[in-house]
Amino acid sequence: MDAQHGNSREAQGLSRRDLLKAGIAAGMAVSAWPLYDPPTLWGGEAESPKRGGTLRVRGFDPPHFDPHIATATFTQSTLSFVYSKLVRHKVGGNVSPGKFSVEPDLAERWEELDDTTYIFHLRRGVKWHNKPPVNGRELVAEDVKFTYDRFLTEKGNGNRYLLDDVDRIEVMDRYTVKFLLKEPFVWLINVLAYPLSTWIVAPEVVQQYGDLKKAETAIGTGPFILERYEPNVKSVFKRNPDYYLEGQPYVDAVEWLVVPDESTGLAMYRTGQIDCGPEASWAVRQQDLDSLKKTHPHLMYQDFQSQSGHVITMRTDMPPFNDVRVRRAISHAIDRQALIEAVWGRGEPTPAVSRGLAEWSLAIDQLGPGAAYYRYDPKEAKRLLAEAGYPKGFKTQLTASSGYGRDMLDNAQLILRYLKDVGIEAELKTQEHGAYVATTVQGKYEGMIRGPLGITWEPDRRLYRAYAADSSSNIGHVNDPTLSAMVKAQRRIKDLEARRQLIYDIQRYEAEHQYYVYLNSVTITGTWQPYVKNYSPNQSYDYGNRAAALWLDR
Amino acid sequence: MQQYVIKRLLLVVPTLLLVSVIVFSLTRLIPGDVVVLMFEEKAYAEDLEALRAKLGLNQPIYVQYGIWLSQVVQGNLGESLWTKRPVLEEIARRLPVSFELGAMAIVFGLCWALPIGVLAAIRQDTMKDYAARSLAIIGLSAPGFWKATMIIVFCSIWFGWAPPLQFTPFTQGPWQHISQFILPAILLAFGASASIMRLTRALMLEVLRQDYIRTAWSKGMGERRVVVKHALKNAVIPVITIIGLEIGQIAGGAVVFETIFGLPGMGRFMLDAINQRDYPVMQGLNLLAASTIVFVNLLVDMTYAYLDPRIRYQ
Repeated sequence: MDAQHGNSREAQGLSRRDLLKAGIAAGMAVSAWPLYDPPTLWGGEAESPKRGGTLRVRGFDPPHFDPHIATATFTQSTLSFVYSKLVRHKVGGNVSPGKFSVEPDLAERWEELDDTTYIFHLRRGVKWHNKPPVNGRELVAEDVKFTYDRFLTEKGNGNRYLLDDVDRIEVMDRYTVKFLLKEPFVWLINVLAYPLSTWIVAPEVVQQYGDLKKAETAIGTGPFILERYEPNVKSVFKRNPDYYLEGQPYVDAVEWLVVPDESTGLAMYRTGQIDCGPEASWAVRQQDLDSLKKTHPHLMYQDFQSQSGHVITMRTDMPPFNDVRVRRAISHAIDRQALIEAVWGRGEPTPAVSRGLAEWSLAIDQLGPGAAYYRYDPKEAKRLLAEAGYPKGFKTQLTASSGYGRDMLDNAQLILRYLKDVGIEAELKTQEHGAYVATTVQGKYEGMIRGPLGITWEPDRRLYRAYAADSSSNIGHVNDPTLSAMVKAQRRIKDLEARRQLIYDIQRYEAEHQYYVYLNSVTITGTWQPYVKNYSPNQSYDYGNRAAALWLDR
Repeated sequence: MQQYVIKRLLLVVPTLLLVSVIVFSLTRLIPGDVVVLMFEEKAYAEDLEALRAKLGLNQPIYVQYGIWLSQVVQGNLGESLWTKRPVLEEIARRLPVSFELGAMAIVFGLCWALPIGVLAAIRQDTMKDYAARSLAIIGLSAPGFWKATMIIVFCSIWFGWAPPLQFTPFTQGPWQHISQFILPAILLAFGASASIMRLTRALMLEVLRQDYIRTAWSKGMGERRVVVKHALKNAVIPVITIIGLEIGQIAGGAVVFETIFGLPGMGRFMLDAINQRDYPVMQGLNLLAASTIVFVNLLVDMTYAYLDPRIRYQ
C-alpha cells in the first residue's frame, strides 16, 4: 500500500522539501545498513563454486622438503599443497571440526582380503605435475610401492612407527597395490590418511636429486604446483590444471606466507592482507579473540576443541609414582579449570583421548569412578599421600621444554604451586627443546614431565603409544598387562561400535589409575574472511586439500 | 704515500685473521648446541653423535676453524647447517633489502633531524625547543620493537590499516615495494635521528654564539641567511661524523624492524641464525660486518693520510 502511495506522489512531482526529506531518510537508511553483508552460515556451501583469485594465508617456512625425514609440521603442512595420498581426511564446508572421516584420494577404492591384507585400486589417469623429470606422466602402482618402501627404510624417518605393522607392499598390476601386514591393524586406512609423511612421491625425482630436501623436488600429484619458493618469504603454489578432481582447485594460486611475528600476522588478517586466521589451523589466539570480534564482527568464527592437549607424565615404574594413590593425589591437587583460565583462555579437562577427537573421547562425567580424580581437592590429595606413606609429601623434579613457549612454562610454574600446596616439592628443570626431545621424550628423565600431547586423528596413536608395554613411546613406563592387552585388542576389532566401547573402557581404566595425569585440551577458534566459501576449520596439517576445496567469492 | 698504503694493506691481513678467530669462537660460545636443536627434526641422523659427525662438529675446534678459514679465503662462506644453502648466496639475496631500509632510514632521519635541531637551537627554551627535545628523548628511549608493534597493532584496530606486510620485490610492484619500507624506515630513523637532532642543536647553539654570527646579525643580515649559510654550514661538520656511528644503531634496529615488517633482510637472517645456532651463517654475517668496518677504517685512514701528510710520515 505504502509503496503504491509513494509511487503516486512521485508521479505528481517532488517538492524541494520532499527531496531533502527523502535524502535524509535515504542517508539514514544507508548508514543503518550493515557495513558488511551478513555472512551465510558455514561460508555458504549451497552456492555454486567460483573459480579464480589468490588465497593468501600465513604459512610456514619448511626446513626442507623431504616428507620421509621430517616430523616437523612446517614441512608436512607445506607439502600438503603439492602431494596426494592414497586416502585422505574429508575436507570442505560441511565437515565438522574434530571429525576425520576417510575418503578416497589416489586410491579410488580399497578392500580387505583378510585381517592382514589390504588391496588398493588406484584411480586411472592421475598425472604427476608437468615438471621434469616426471613431465606429467601417469601415476602407477610402482610409485606407491616406491613411496612406502622409502617410508619404511629411510633412516631418520621419525614417523616410521605409524606403519610399524606393515610387512611389505606388493604391486599387483599397473593400478593395484597390496599392503601385507605383520599382524592385524584395523587403523591402517586411518593412518594412511594422516597428513604426516604419507604423501606419494615419484621415484625419478628421488633418483635425480638423491633426496627430497630441495624445493625443486616437491613434485607430486596434488592440487597445487609449487611455482616459487622464496626462503623466509613465501611459497607460491599455482593451480594444477591436471588435478584429478574435476574443477578443483577453485583458486588460481595460494600464497603461503612466512610471517615471523604474531602481531604482524594478526594485523595482516585485520587489514585483509591474509584471508584466514594468522595462527596454526588458521585460527586466532584466544587472548586476541575478544578484541578481534569487537572490531571485526563480520569475520567467520568457529570454536572447536583441540585433538592435542596437556599432560603430566610420571615415572610410573619408580617410587613414589608407582603407587596409584600418589598419582591420584597429584590429579586431585590440580585445579584444571583454573589452569585453563589462567593460561589457555578456554578449554576442557580431558581424558586420555583428547576432547577434540569428538567421536572417540569421553566427557569427564562419563569416566565412571575415575571421574572423581578430576575433582580439585587438595585435602583428599593430602589424605591419599599420607595413606601412601608420604604424610609430609616428597621432593621430585618436573621437566619442561623451553621450546613450547612461555605459556607452557607459566603452566608448569602454576602446577608446581598446586603440588606444593599438598606437600610435593617439585623443582622445575627447563631443558632446551633439542635436548628435551633427545632425552625426556625418549623416556630418559626423573620424576615428572610437563609437556603437550601430540596431535592425533584417531585414538590408537595416543593409546597404543602411551600404554602398550612394548611401545618405545611409553614414556610413563606404564607396565599394566590389563591395559596393554586392551590397547592391543582394540587394534584387531573390526566392528566400529565394539571398538568404540573398548576405547571408552580404556579411558575409564586410565582415569581410575591415573598413569598419566591428563589436564586439558584447549579451545581453538578458527576464523576466515566471509568471502572464503566451502571452508571449515580443523586441526590438521592438510592445508592443501582444504585450500583446493574452497573458493573465494569477493 | 705508496709505502704507507702498502703498509696499511699488509696490516689488514693479520687484522682480518684476528677478526676471523674472534668471529669463529664467539659464535661457539653462545649457549645451546645446534646438534641438539637439529635432532628435534629427527631428519638428519639416528643419534646425536651421528649427527655431530655428519655436520663435522665432532672434530677438534681448531680443525673446524682451519676448514672454515680455508673455505673463506677461497670466497666460500660455507653453507647453512639447516637449509644447506650457500651462505654467500643468501647474503647476496638479503643485503639489498637491509641496505635499502638503512639508506631510507638515514635519509628520513636527516630530513627531520637537521631542521628540528636547528629550530630547537634558534628558538632555545621556547615551547618548540621543549617539544623537539621531548621528541628526541622519546626517540632515544622507546624501544624499536615496542614502537613498531604499537603502530601495527593500533593502526589495524583503530583504522583497519596496516602497511603491506608481505615483501614484494621492486620488479614485481614498485609502489608496493616502496610503501613496505616507508613505515619501518621512519621508525628506524626516529630512533637513530634523535642523537643527530640533539647534536645539531648543541652545535648550533655553540656556533650561534660566535663572534662572526654576531657580526652577521649586526650587518642586518636576514635570519634565514645567518642560520643556514653561516651557522649551519659550520655546525654540521661533526654531525656528519656521527651519522657514521648511527649506521651501527640502524643495523641493530633493522633486526627488529625486519622481523616485524616482514622484510627478508640481513637482520632477520641473523636473528634466525642465532636462534637456530646456525654457525656458518652467524660466522659469515659477523665476518662480513667486521670486514666492512675494517675496510671502512682503512679507507678513512687513507683519506686522512691523503689529506694530512704528517700521518703518512709517522
